[in-house]
Amino acid sequence: MAGPLALLLVLGLAGLTFVMRASGPMLRSIPAAVTTRTAGLAPALLAALVAIELTGPNGVIQLDVKIPAVVVAGGLAALRVPFIACVIAGALTAAGLRAVFHLN
Amino acid sequence: MAGMRPRRSTREILQAAAPIALAVFVFGASFGVLAAAAHLPAWSVVLMSILVFAGSAQFAALGVVTAGGSILTAILAGALLNLRYIATGIAVARSLPGGRLRRALLGQIVVDESYALAVAAGEPGRPDRRTLLVVGATLYTVWVLGTVTGTLLGPVLGDPKRLGLDAAFPALFLALLWPMLSGRHAVRCALGGAAVALLLAPFTPPGIPLAGAAVVGLWLAR
Repeated sequence: MAGPLALLLVLGLAGLTFVMRASGPMLRSIPAAVTTRTAGLAPALLAALVAIELTGPNGVIQLDVKIPAVVVAGGLAALRVPFIACVIAGALTAAGLRAVFHLN
Repeated sequence: MAGMRPRRSTREILQAAAPIALAVFVFGASFGVLAAAAHLPAWSVVLMSILVFAGSAQFAALGVVTAGGSILTAILAGALLNLRYIATGIAVARSLPGGRLRRALLGQIVVDESYALAVAAGEPGRPDRRTLLVVGATLYTVWVLGTVTGTLLGPVLGDPKRLGLDAAFPALFLALLWPMLSGRHAVRCALGGAAVALLLAPFTPPGIPLAGAAVVGLWLAR
C-alpha cells in the first residue's frame, strides 16, 4: 500500500478512536439506551468478520484449511485457553494441513 | 468485598498484569507480522499501534485492507469495533484524575484488559485508578514494542500462507468474539451479524456486509 493511503488509514482510525475514548471521560453521562445498543456492535461485527474471512473471491464460503483452523481456534477458546494460544493453534492447523496434505 | 482490600502497590499491580502483558506483546507482534505481509509500510504499522492502541480494531481494519476493501471501509470497520470504548469511558470517568482535558487524554490508554483488572481491583461502580493507569501504560508500551518486533520479524518469516497467517485472521476474530458471548443478547447479535454478512457478501462490494452486520448488532442488542 502506498504511503499516503496508509497514513490516511492510520489517521482516520486514530482520530475516530480518540473521539470515542475521550467522549466518556468528557461527557460523563450518555443515555443508557445508547450504550446498551452499541454493546451489540462488537459481537455482530466480530462474527461477521469471521464469516467474511472464510468466504472466497465470489463472496461464498470457501472450503479450505481456514475452516479447520477456525474450528480449532473456536474449540480452544470455548475451553478458556488463553486468547493468543487459540490464534497460534489456528494458524498452525492451517500451516500443518497445507504442509502435510498440500491442501489449499 | 473488593472495597475492603488494602491499597495495592505498583509492584503487585504489575505482577497481576504480567501474563496479560506477555499476551499483548505476542498479539502486537502478530499484528506487525500480518501487516507487513499485507505490504503496509512498516512506519505506518507502528504509527497505527502508537495512535490507535486497540487490537481488535487494528486487526479488523487490516483484515479489510488484506481482503481488498477500501480505506474508508477499513476505517469504519475498526472504528465501529471501538464504539464500545464510549461505554468503557463512561464507566471509568469517575476514576480518572484531573479536569476534562486531562481525563480525556488519560482515557486514551484505557483498553479492555486494563479496564477489567481495574474493575476487579476497585470498588463497585468505581474502577481502581492506579490499576487503570499503571496497567494501561504498561500494555501500551508492550503493544507498541510488540508491533515493532512483528514488523521486523515479518519479512524474515517468508510466505504468509505457508505459515497459516491468513487463517490467523478468522481464528483471531473468533477468539476475540468467544468471551463476549456471555449473554443471550450477545449470541443473538453474533449470529445475526454473521448471517447478514454471509447473505450480503456474494452480491455487494466489500464493506457492505460489515455495515449490514453493524445495523443488525444495533437492532438486536436489546
